[in-house]
Amino acid sequence: MRTLLHLIAVFAVALLLGIGSAWYMIERGSPLTTRRPGPWASWMSEGNPNADPYTKAHLAQSGRLPLTSTTARYFLARTDSEGEQLTSACEYLIEGSALNARWWSLAVYDEHGSVIENPSGRFSFNSDEAIRRSDGTYRISLANNARPENWLPSGTGPERKLVLMLRIYGPRETDSTGIGQIPDDRLPKIERKACN
Amino acid sequence: MQLRVPLLYFLLCLVLAGLIHIAAVLTLPALAPKNAWARLIPLGPPNTMILLPPPSPGQEVMPMMAPDVRYAFCRFDLKLGPVRLKASVPNDLWLIALYSPEGDNFYTVAGADMKRGQIDLVIAKADQPVAEAGVDAPEESDEVVVVKSPVGEGIAMIRAPLSGPSHAVRAEQALKSTSCGPYSK
Repeated sequence: MRTLLHLIAVFAVALLLGIGSAWYMIERGSPLTTRRPGPWASWMSEGNPNADPYTKAHLAQSGRLPLTSTTARYFLARTDSEGEQLTSACEYLIEGSALNARWWSLAVYDEHGSVIENPSGRFSFNSDEAIRRSDGTYRISLANNARPENWLPSGTGPERKLVLMLRIYGPRETDSTGIGQIPDDRLPKIERKACN
Repeated sequence: MQLRVPLLYFLLCLVLAGLIHIAAVLTLPALAPKNAWARLIPLGPPNTMILLPPPSPGQEVMPMMAPDVRYAFCRFDLKLGPVRLKASVPNDLWLIALYSPEGDNFYTVAGADMKRGQIDLVIAKADQPVAEAGVDAPEESDEVVVVKSPVGEGIAMIRAPLSGPSHAVRAEQALKSTSCGPYSK
């Protein structure tokens, strides 16, 4: 009887460990599948027909239809550069440099990947829209209320978690396999300012 | 012996956890009920170009769609023969990408790579011969691209990135004038 109980306990723990580790590696990625420069995470083989099982599972579960990394690169941030969860209760300054690509766009979503209601109907800034300095650098303010320069609204109402997605179409620097290369220091920094 | 039994349980637990982990990773793609394919099917019949509504709060077809890209897709079905996709591409930023139902992006062409902004794509399975499109119109022949599809059905997705909100109407009109349908010749 005791052996049976032990075996049930062993099985329960194994189930928890197995499912938990699988969930984490599919949802958030691991060094096998993702690169993590600063607050950003990028799945290297997303959309690639030869992708590993973790990436395929991630793709199926996400419901997205991304382009492969030879055509576009996607970078997703759930935290600021200090590693703190992005939230609509705080204001952020996003500072980026010029990206060597045909087109890029930085968009903000809630944790379900839905755009956030706001009076100006602004959900993103792209390389053609963002006000940039002569050296190509730009500053985007992620805040509830209007800000000068580039204001990316994080919505009003109850506090929500935020997710930033930077998509880069047609990166011009590639590695030998044709995968678009974005130097880490070119990715925007996300600095937390005031919080409510 | 008393010392060895906990170790045995520990090893058993680890092996079991590993097996469950592998099984979960491998079966998830088949079990995910809301992958992109499942989200696109309800929007319309196959072999028809369908414009996706621009993302609005809580109304997205797929999560994390680009708010500043307009999308149109054609769910191609090669059961009855090859499918032809034609578009006049108004700018270099457009992207046409072909996917399997699992989301494998097996072919992509960018507006910048197209001759004279015209794209004429024939999607066919390896065992479906496509008659030379140039026989009747030789001057067109080098503009027809035949893509051998590894799958019998899939998704052709056109992305039209916008340079600003004011470009949305024009992009939507251009997407509406694209066509997708059975290839007959």
